[in-house]
Amino acid sequence: MTTCAPGRLALVVAAIGLVWCGLLPAVQRVAVVERHVAAMELREVNPAAMVYTELDRLPIRPTWVEDRVILWPYFSP
Amino acid sequence: MADDGLPARRLWLHEDVVATVIGLAIVALALAVTWSARPAESPGSREKWPKGWPTPLSQTIDKPQTWSDSPLAAFRDKKGNPLTVPIVLGGTWVVAVAVVGAALAGRSVGSILPGSIALALLAGMAYLLAAQKVIHFYNLEYPLWALMIGILIGNVVGMPAWLERSLAGEFLIKTGLVIFGAEVLFSRLLELGLPGLLTSWVVTPIVLVTTYWCGVHLLKIPSRSLCMVVAADMSVCGVSAAIATGAACRAKKEELSLAIGLSLFFTVIMMVAMPPLISWLGLDPIVGGAWIGGTIDATGAVVAAGESLGKEAGEVAATVKMIQNSMIGIIAFAVAVYWAGWVERSGGSREGSLLAEAWRRFPRFILGFVAASIACSWLFSSSPEAALWVDGTTTGFTSRLRGWLFCAGFVCMGLQTNFRELAPSLASGRPLVLYVGGQLLNLVLSLAMASLTFGWLFRKAVEP
Repeated sequence: MTTCAPGRLALVVAAIGLVWCGLLPAVQRVAVVERHVAAMELREVNPAAMVYTELDRLPIRPTWVEDRVILWPYFSP
Repeated sequence: MADDGLPARRLWLHEDVVATVIGLAIVALALAVTWSARPAESPGSREKWPKGWPTPLSQTIDKPQTWSDSPLAAFRDKKGNPLTVPIVLGGTWVVAVAVVGAALAGRSVGSILPGSIALALLAGMAYLLAAQKVIHFYNLEYPLWALMIGILIGNVVGMPAWLERSLAGEFLIKTGLVIFGAEVLFSRLLELGLPGLLTSWVVTPIVLVTTYWCGVHLLKIPSRSLCMVVAADMSVCGVSAAIATGAACRAKKEELSLAIGLSLFFTVIMMVAMPPLISWLGLDPIVGGAWIGGTIDATGAVVAAGESLGKEAGEVAATVKMIQNSMIGIIAFAVAVYWAGWVERSGGSREGSLLAEAWRRFPRFILGFVAASIACSWLFSSSPEAALWVDGTTTGFTSRLRGWLFCAGFVCMGLQTNFRELAPSLASGRPLVLYVGGQLLNLVLSLAMASLTFGWLFRKAVEP
């Protein structure tokens, strides 16, 4: 398809606008969704991160793991 | 991906070489700038710099932020500071890479400039849609919206010729992958010691190979590259693994779109369903966290699900997934070698020795990706200061650059995705069966390994 249909374009833009600016904000006010969003924001979790570098908090080896797990049992001095 | 990026006419520099040169130059430049502004106070303290050294480059490029009711809020950061300029610069970066790529490949810059600007605007639009809070916090990542925008324009609205001639999605993704190499650190593999290595590294290759084999031989899916991309995104780490292996095995755009769609759909379901399932099964949260980290595709969804089991479970889940993230380079390289040496060789004409032909078919930009990964891994492990240097550069700058390139690349893929070519795969339902079957195997093996390592061999980890 190499020709653009302006009517269809307007329809698509209007549908996206309606969903993103009308429907989704309404969904966000549903109690269960609101709780999920608030919990994620409070814990600074970025559920949309594709890889670890996009996380709000970079994972580093938790200190409690170091205390309780023998990380390299056959190589420890 | 199938080789239809920059056309070969007047090509005086191969696309892979251009992508590698741009990618490696950007990583080197970013590291140099971060080094020049290194902090004088406690440069080796992870407590002081949890995300690495702050880089001045982080002010230059950004993407739309999360918003609730008004999309205009996406152009301000959490403190209310305007982000319009960094966001515009993000789009400008996409245009610059497309233009430089075209110029180095001997194409007319004037003819692709309007289309590249439109592409950057569409990428910005995809970021904006992905930043709505409901979308963002339920893990519907930007690739989905970039693909959707492209598919809608390509299949419903219609693509103007000026836009069509400037599509270079494959080139943008290749350049983004070379930059991405700086984030794939082999040294991260050792973070959780033997338990983490067993959980991440034993199960993942078994699931990857078994799923691919079942797709080709049991389900008899005609396209081997589709089987590979589905197997990789399901067993490794979702979209990022799909991009890397898709490029390594030259998967078609339709195949990559399908694999990413499947992955994102099941990620949302698993993110919501796994924490209550773990509680219902009465599993220890640490074992549950390792299970989540080994099975849910997307990194962000892993953290979201892990955190709902508790802080310690969230940390284990995030670290197991980070170890899997680090496998992308090795898997992409192995897939590229296997494809060039065996799959394509058995399907096409044979010229010369196995090695010579494998080299001829090998996607060279993968070497740039691996080079960036090896160099940054070596730097990362050389000292605590260097680890913060690499982390600060990647989290503060290069991850944003490759994010914009991936986003624009996905818009291109969507624009070039033809529903009619996708329809037979969808109608047969075999890719869905492959994904679900592979994921079930992944769930069973990961649970067994998480229980074995964190619950039995190293059971002190789960004792209070």
